[in-house]
Amino acid sequence: MIHDYLVLSVILFCLGVVGVFARRNFFTVFMSVELMLNASNLAFIAFARLQQNMDGHVLALLIMAVAAAEAALALAVVILLHKQTGKLDTNVFSLLKG
Amino acid sequence: MEHSTFYLGMIPLYPLLGAVCIGLFHVLTCKRWQVPPLVYGLLACVGPAMSFFLALRVFFELRALPLDARFFTYKAFTWFSVGDLHLDMGFLADPLSGLMLLFVTFIGTLIHVYSIGYMSGDKSYAKFFAYMNLFLGSMLILVLGDSPVVMFVGWEGVGLCSYLLISYYSEDRDNVLAGNKAFIVNRIGDLGFVLGMGFLFWAIGSHGFDFLSLKANAHMMTESSILIVCLLLFVGATGKSAQIPLYVWLPDAMAGPTPVSALIHAATMVTAGVYMVARFSFLYVEVAAAGMIVAWIGILTALVAAIFGMFQDDIKKVLAYSTVSQLGYMFAGVGVTAYSAGIFHVFTHAFFKALLFLGAGAVIYVLHHEQNIWKMGGLKKKMPITYWTMLIGALALAGCPPFAGFFSKDEILYSALANGHFFIWLIGVLVAAMTAYYTFRMIFVVFHGQPRDQQAYDHAHEAPLVMTVPLIILAIGALFAGFYNLPAMFGGEQMISHWLAPSVADQHPHGSFLLEFFVIATSVAAFAFGLWVAYKRFGKGAEEPVFTGFARFAYHKFYVDELYDAVFVRPYKAIGAEISEGVEPNMTDAPVTGVVRLYMRVGTLVKVLQSGYVRVYAIYMVLGLGIMSFILSQSLN
Amino acid sequence: MLVDLLFTCFAVFSVLGALGLIIFRHPMNGAMSFLVTLVSLAGLYALLSAKLLFALQLIVYAGAIMSLVVFVIMFLNIQPDQLPAEKTKITYLVAGGVAVTPVAFFLLKVVNRLPNMPVSFADEGFGGVKEVGLIFFREWLVPFEIVSILLLTALVGAVVLAGKREKNK
Repeated sequence: MIHDYLVLSVILFCLGVVGVFARRNFFTVFMSVELMLNASNLAFIAFARLQQNMDGHVLALLIMAVAAAEAALALAVVILLHKQTGKLDTNVFSLLKG
Repeated sequence: MEHSTFYLGMIPLYPLLGAVCIGLFHVLTCKRWQVPPLVYGLLACVGPAMSFFLALRVFFELRALPLDARFFTYKAFTWFSVGDLHLDMGFLADPLSGLMLLFVTFIGTLIHVYSIGYMSGDKSYAKFFAYMNLFLGSMLILVLGDSPVVMFVGWEGVGLCSYLLISYYSEDRDNVLAGNKAFIVNRIGDLGFVLGMGFLFWAIGSHGFDFLSLKANAHMMTESSILIVCLLLFVGATGKSAQIPLYVWLPDAMAGPTPVSALIHAATMVTAGVYMVARFSFLYVEVAAAGMIVAWIGILTALVAAIFGMFQDDIKKVLAYSTVSQLGYMFAGVGVTAYSAGIFHVFTHAFFKALLFLGAGAVIYVLHHEQNIWKMGGLKKKMPITYWTMLIGALALAGCPPFAGFFSKDEILYSALANGHFFIWLIGVLVAAMTAYYTFRMIFVVFHGQPRDQQAYDHAHEAPLVMTVPLIILAIGALFAGFYNLPAMFGGEQMISHWLAPSVADQHPHGSFLLEFFVIATSVAAFAFGLWVAYKRFGKGAEEPVFTGFARFAYHKFYVDELYDAVFVRPYKAIGAEISEGVEPNMTDAPVTGVVRLYMRVGTLVKVLQSGYVRVYAIYMVLGLGIMSFILSQSLN
Repeated sequence: MLVDLLFTCFAVFSVLGALGLIIFRHPMNGAMSFLVTLVSLAGLYALLSAKLLFALQLIVYAGAIMSLVVFVIMFLNIQPDQLPAEKTKITYLVAGGVAVTPVAFFLLKVVNRLPNMPVSFADEGFGGVKEVGLIFFREWLVPFEIVSILLLTALVGAVVLAGKREKNK
């Protein structure tokens, strides 16, 4: 049943959201974001199957490309930050503190 | 009027423009090059002179009009129009304002010319003439105003200029305090004036608030409201014209230069109160009680001031108290509904009092600013022109026939007695005797006998021509001005009374010829008595007296200034200090600073939300998303 | 029957992998869990007749992206003491679960309104390489080109960010 796929997508998305703000480790946060993207990919493909329309597949593919680009840049940034401070804690960077 | 009455608006404008020009010219050039003082002096005399010629034109045009429509107006612009109140900056030329215009501009011009000589060598020459022109412009607005509000504009303007000119020698703090006193006491009177105007507006103002409309609608007011308006307006007059209880500023005002005392505190500003009562004669004549109060306050002021004048040792203070006393006479005149008599006395008083002040100024100038009469003496030989002109002025003031003062004072006393006010007349006669006494005391001590200060006497000389010529002109006026209102028993036509008839609500008393003769006889007797006593005590030279008892009490002016200080000034200042130290920081500053502190505290609290951690911001996002989904899921039901 | 069993397996594995990702302390462990999730998702795509995406998920996501992430984790040589001491992890996770509940609730409600159809395998013309390619180069050409530019930008950016700095910087 198509509902099962969609419910699974919702569950994965919420787990990704929780992971983003409940963890302080940079990599965990980053991979939680990827988890969210995957969950939405699943939803797209499920809908594409439902509507018999291939556009969902295309979008999922584009999302994958974007995720790849983002991964490259995010990892470059984390390497730089690690070089600067030697820490992987997102709480360390609080220059915006008001 | 068919033809343009535009020149009516120019009459106050010329002196005002003169003041602005002199002021600007001085400000722009005082740092760059030295302008010769004569330039300012001549520039200052142009405005008043032109106003005088225009005043003559007004007079002749009024004469050409028929008796029942003897006025014309000029509306400069609409000042404001709010609801019922529609006010124009308008000017009214009728017989009363025409007469006032003539002598105000004439004497004003003469005094400006005199000041060129008196103020020579002073360093703020331009400032002086700017203020004098400003004063004359304000006085002309006051006289020409066609509604109480325009008159009040001039009223305030002359009060301001009086302050500026009294404090003219501002290096000495006492002069500034005297200016402050004048302004503040005037202000108290002005409060009464404003309240009176407001009350008047409330009563009949909706039908038009200029004098002509008010006169036409006055019958609509109840008697009690007329009484209230009259008394409130009179409070303003006591302030401006120095009557009891607000006369205390005028003697202190002698701290200003002598031409200022002559122009403002003798001839023009202080008569504004009398002019105001005459203007409102249509109100004062309705309620007898109002006139009575005015007359009694007037005559009592005359009495008290004459007592003070008898014991003063400063030549200007003698003349100041004399002015207060004569103003009392004028109010007594308008109080007993003899408005034209009061205005006639204003007219003659302007001439001889200005003359006396200018003569005193000449003496002071020649003796290098010595004002104590007990340091003068025997100046008759050294300053003949000054002596003879001042003698004429003194005879006019004391009421010697046929000089001007005799006729005007006699008119007032006759009206008082003929209208049945015996005690007012009696006090008036007593004051006439005292007037003669203190006037000739001053003349004898200053000009007769042996010089008391030999060194000053040796350096004395006659005053320069620019000062003596105005003296001579004024002396001619003091001699002959009385003949304008010669009563019928001397073969005259009472020209001034008839001239003023369309403007003021005179109640002409019908006394017998015998009554008139009686009044004249008593006035002459009083003058002769006062003169004789003065001659006996001071005629052959006298020493400076030491005052004891009542004399000392009178020399200290009955300690009225000290009384006012203790009862009014000090408590008021204490309240002010209390408010500024106790009330104000807590009541007005505290809420403001409290609000500021509240904001700061709230800001500090809210600042906690700005943690700087991206994670926390992500949490906020999720929370917002949660709330939004919650609301949306409700709508999905 | 088999399809249902496969679906259940893949679903359970993906959820378990996600839970592992967000619970494990060391990022390496989290990355491995995430890999399990990705492979399960690839299986789910296959069940949904998305043949190309099934392959691409395995090649690109699980193969390239995750290997890049694992590579960087190992490159940084993270020691256990370098990891942030997250004492409040459980609290935050539970609170996070509570906070996210309205969102999940809302999404589930929306899902329930949609028509529920059984999922069967599609025929030949759905989800294959040829079909996706045709759509890409016909209707979705412009986004395709833009994404390629995006990839170029990401490439240049990564080189700039992580490259060697000059001595005087």
